[in-house]
Amino acid sequence: MKRSLKTISKLILILSIFAIILPIKNFASDDINIENHDKHNSSDLKMGERLFFGLILTGDNTINCASCHNTAVVDTFNWNPSVLELAFSTQYMDSAAFANALLNPVTNRISVAHENVKLNAEQIVLIRNYIETYKTKGLDKPKILVTKLVIFIFLVVLFLTAFIDLTFTKKIKFKAIHGIVIFLALAFILKMIVHSAIGLGRSEGYAPLQPIKFSHQVHATDNKIDCIYCHHTAENAKSAGIPSTNVCLNCHELVREGTNSGRFEIKKILANTENKTAPEWIRIHKLPDHVFFSHAQHAGVGKLDCKECHGLIEEEHLASQYADLSMGWCLDCHRTRKVNFPGNEYYEKTFEEYHNQFKNKTLDSLTVAQVGGENCMKCHY
Amino acid sequence: MTKYWKSIDSKIGQDKDKVQEKKITWTNRRNFLKLFGFGLASTFVLSRCENAAHKAIPYLIKPEEITPSMANYYASSFFDGDKYNSILVKVLDGRPIKIEGNNLSSISQGATNSITQSSILSLYDDTRYRKPKVNGEDSDWGTIDIEIIDQLKKIKEENGKIAIISHSNISPSTKKIIADFKKQYPTTEHIIYDPISISGLLDANKESFGKRLIPNYKFEKAQVIVGINADFLGTWLSPVEYTKQYVQNRKVSEDKKTMSRHIQIESGMSLTGSNADKRIIINPSEEQNLIANLYNYIANSLGKKEISASKCAIDVSKLGEELLKNKNKSLVVCGTNNKKSQLLVNSINQLLENYGKTISLNNALLTKQGNDKDMIDFMSNLKSYKGIVFFDCNPVYDYPNSEKLTTSIKNTDLTISLSTIPDETSELVKYVCPANNYLESWNDFNPKEGTYSLAQPCIQEIFDTRQEQVSLLKWSGIKNDYLEYIKENWKSEIYPKTNRVFDFGDFWTKSLQDGVVEIDVKSSEPKFKNNLSSIKLDDNKKSDLELQIYESVNIGSGKYANNPWLQELPDPVSKVTWDNYAAISVAFAKDKNLETGDVIKINNTIEIPVLVQPGQAKNTISIALGYGRTVVGKSGKDIGTDVYQLIETKEFRQYSLGKISFEKTLNTHELATTQSHDSMEGRDIVRETTIDKYKENTESGNERHKEIEKHHQSLYKEFKYEGHHWAMAVDLNACTGCNTCVAACSIENNVPIVGKEEVLRAHEMHWMRIDRYYAGDPENPEVVRQPVMCQHCDSAPCENVCPVGATNHSSEGINQMAYNRCIGTRYCNNNCPYKVRRFNWFDYNKSDALKGNLYDPHGMTLDLPRMVLNPDVTVRAKGVIEKCSFCIQRIQEKKLKAKLENRALQDGEIKPACQQTCPANAIVFGDLNDKNSEVSKLYEQKRRYHLLEELHTLPSIGYLTKVRNKS
Repeated sequence: MKRSLKTISKLILILSIFAIILPIKNFASDDINIENHDKHNSSDLKMGERLFFGLILTGDNTINCASCHNTAVVDTFNWNPSVLELAFSTQYMDSAAFANALLNPVTNRISVAHENVKLNAEQIVLIRNYIETYKTKGLDKPKILVTKLVIFIFLVVLFLTAFIDLTFTKKIKFKAIHGIVIFLALAFILKMIVHSAIGLGRSEGYAPLQPIKFSHQVHATDNKIDCIYCHHTAENAKSAGIPSTNVCLNCHELVREGTNSGRFEIKKILANTENKTAPEWIRIHKLPDHVFFSHAQHAGVGKLDCKECHGLIEEEHLASQYADLSMGWCLDCHRTRKVNFPGNEYYEKTFEEYHNQFKNKTLDSLTVAQVGGENCMKCHY
Repeated sequence: MTKYWKSIDSKIGQDKDKVQEKKITWTNRRNFLKLFGFGLASTFVLSRCENAAHKAIPYLIKPEEITPSMANYYASSFFDGDKYNSILVKVLDGRPIKIEGNNLSSISQGATNSITQSSILSLYDDTRYRKPKVNGEDSDWGTIDIEIIDQLKKIKEENGKIAIISHSNISPSTKKIIADFKKQYPTTEHIIYDPISISGLLDANKESFGKRLIPNYKFEKAQVIVGINADFLGTWLSPVEYTKQYVQNRKVSEDKKTMSRHIQIESGMSLTGSNADKRIIINPSEEQNLIANLYNYIANSLGKKEISASKCAIDVSKLGEELLKNKNKSLVVCGTNNKKSQLLVNSINQLLENYGKTISLNNALLTKQGNDKDMIDFMSNLKSYKGIVFFDCNPVYDYPNSEKLTTSIKNTDLTISLSTIPDETSELVKYVCPANNYLESWNDFNPKEGTYSLAQPCIQEIFDTRQEQVSLLKWSGIKNDYLEYIKENWKSEIYPKTNRVFDFGDFWTKSLQDGVVEIDVKSSEPKFKNNLSSIKLDDNKKSDLELQIYESVNIGSGKYANNPWLQELPDPVSKVTWDNYAAISVAFAKDKNLETGDVIKINNTIEIPVLVQPGQAKNTISIALGYGRTVVGKSGKDIGTDVYQLIETKEFRQYSLGKISFEKTLNTHELATTQSHDSMEGRDIVRETTIDKYKENTESGNERHKEIEKHHQSLYKEFKYEGHHWAMAVDLNACTGCNTCVAACSIENNVPIVGKEEVLRAHEMHWMRIDRYYAGDPENPEVVRQPVMCQHCDSAPCENVCPVGATNHSSEGINQMAYNRCIGTRYCNNNCPYKVRRFNWFDYNKSDALKGNLYDPHGMTLDLPRMVLNPDVTVRAKGVIEKCSFCIQRIQEKKLKAKLENRALQDGEIKPACQQTCPANAIVFGDLNDKNSEVSKLYEQKRRYHLLEELHTLPSIGYLTKVRNKS
């Protein structure tokens, strides 16, 4: 038993060390990458970088590029194109066109943002060269949050120390301390593992950045477009449907400039149409394969409002997953939700007894569970 | 101390133990704890990782008729050069995933056969040609076309002969294309052959009626059906259509207490024979004489002239009497490829005045047109051909004496194969111009006079292939594409034959939507001009051992040998999978001391395992065609033995050999059967009665049902079903046992292929099976069949024993199974009295995260074959139980549709896969709470009983007793 416990602890230890080393290694390799790309005229690039981050004073110094354009992957929403997007969208421009786009922009949005930008032609070239480097290296990686992992490792170490002292070193004579420490450490370790295991595969609040900065708020709230206009199969098909590009073009054929992103994002749709490639959205809601879910049943028959499951998505710039989509969450609703019984001939004719009770006013509502909403094979087949 | 071993066996035993020891040490306590600890830690670490990003890519411009996640059905046609079926193809998110019969067609009437069902997998066959090939090297269409046209022109200039070899061709447009090709290259000959020839029947009809055709048989109108070596329910000509007709007059009910009588005269036990009321067993050599005697008996009774024939050993007077009693309500069919036998049968039908009643010469069937003489001529003049085009056919494999053809292909200047998949012929030719699968092609068909149908592509070409017709058009120098060509042809040829209510555009659209156009052909029955006075019977002598070669129900001619679904489908009679065998009779086995699995050598050429088959003619061995392919994908390669090469070619190809030699070898070969036990062990699993008893008392044969119901009482609370109560009725009198339901079920529900090894361990996964029992004399037994699937018991033994509640009862009477809850104790499997639950011993679907669990002997988890999976049904992982779900996905789909349309569900709207495809209408599914539903009405029949009902499991499947027409 002792030996086996030792092996476990050894394994956990090795694993934890590994988990810590892994991200560090990644950072290290990134540094090397940057140096590699610096090989042509590194002092110019350094200048470009300084200009970009506003370390060199230009104009009244109230604005720098990095304050609006991200250089790293962030999980907050930023209307402005990242440095990578800039690099790609300007790659076929010559220097003059680039400078022109920067200083005399066509769209209102950029004119306002770039109002105080004072750069000379040489500086613009330097900035551009710096931006170009992102094309090969990509955006900087975000730092990994390790607090939870640190706590976990700390608890494991605590547990091991107590255990080792109890069995081998025996420095602390009062054995109850070992007992309490081991018990508490184990309990917390287990709690963390159980919590993480339950959360495995669930992604409540998941809000990845999308290839096009599409805002539900702008479309559904500000411009009052009905959900069904774009997700037009939601009421009668299994999937609600991601609108195809031709649906976007219904409006964007004419609407070429937005208030938040100017022309930059809308241009992407036009480019898609031209290149005959559909945008590759990042999927947010994903049920496991063994779950059957139909939008038609819920939005069509059940007449549920979209926000019951998707929250106030119409007020979000960056779409996120509202519910945890766990089985408990589904069943909680099935057990309490009232079926739209009266008026639907299917229910009235199939459940005749209930129908009569409704008529005689001896029954005023039925939950989904009462008409088979708790059957395994309602969703799993 | 040295360890001595007693014998070689015990030595091997010791070594084996060592191997096993090693295996055992793998999961001892310490390793378990290590894994456990690692598991916990890795769960924690994994949970910190972000989920992999999945992409969601919409359409750029969404086609109007396509809704992602919703299936569309397209009408199309299946024709493999042998059998025709009008079909509907279910296309989901761009992938064809299921085939159903087209109910607008009078041929398929909504049903299919197992080959048509399974043919969808051939679309996703990983071994298909991906590119055109020249001498085995990849090429491209541009180069290959230039080279072929050059050579064709050269042959034309030299006035050399070109042959196009094909199976029967029922496509009007293809025929026209070949005619166009002939115009361009006038020395071209089109030679048609059928792997399983009926040239004798066609020639006999030509002599009798002046037309080379297959008449339109009407089995539903016959009171007495006599089949002579014709497996019309399984393989002969148009089995789906014939089964539909046959069962119409076989079903009995409280309102209709009559049924037809079916007598089968045959050598081997066929699917049709096993359904007959009476089987007369003969040797193949006796057949013609028996028919002649039958003719003489009838002619004599009617005062007509007899022909000279020796007296036959079997008394035909009773048979003749029955036929005479049912004059113009009887039907005699013969499946032998012999003109004289067929002429005699024609004359019998003529004497019985069946023409115009049970046989019509209008609307003749056109699916087989091959002429043995043409092919014999071709084979003897092989050297005179400078170019040979193999039009989707494989004569090197499926034509006898093909060594000659093999050498000649090598010596011919221009050889082209238009095959979709590598086969014995295409491997030898110079140019392989791979054709599309039929689900990627446009086509038109004319399966019957007056019946036209279209085939439309349901998916874009998966590989760089081109359909045969387009290749021929290109080589003929016609620029038109094939769709336009068909349209023009229909406009000029077919449209004028219709009543022209629509203009052509609408007619075309409607035809494409319906899949079929049926035009009434009204012409008087042609005059019968048979003259038997000069007929001289073949001199057949009965020998000690004869051979009969037959077409198997599942594999057919062997074209689909690489289809693992078909290979794993048990033979309807013997229940053997993944093999063919030599069927021998019980008496013969006793005489020669043979057992099932012993390998014998026939004519010193082929070696084949024997199977002791009750009901086999004593001195005849029967072997199925279609096996023993050598150039084919993994699933068909070297499975079974090829017997095409044993076929003798005289005037016609003869599928029986009068005299063969046989020799027992010391080898054995295990046959994988899904049912090894043939007895009901005295229980009334299948209940049967005779029509006479049934007329007196509709409860006959089922008396026990009432008695058992009286004793029903239970400790458990009875279920009350508020809404639906799903149930199924299976009419044992209608079921012919053709297996199509098993195939359809497997395809609909993603049932995995396990391979021969696993079938041998009784690990087959089919959710439904057709049990077959023999009764009576083993030399000529009576056969009963019973489809068995999960019985969805109201008081289910499996539900009570599941420790995790993975299987339980739904509020609609379904015994439901939650795979992701199952932990694999198999208690339910143990406690199920029907043995319908299946356990996933391995990961057959690549659905596990652990790689070592995968067991996929037939490549079904490769990217391409996986496309055939039904996304609405979960694939099951290793270690879980699965079983029939009453096709719950179809129930839910139709329920949802009714709710959306604000209406009640219609009876018959929901059809499980087995019911939908059943050509015998033997399965009826419905709601017992709806008193007017068909299933409720069948439940009220006195014939209804339940399987092992004395156990009080209260199944939701009701069986209706089998009724025989015994006299």
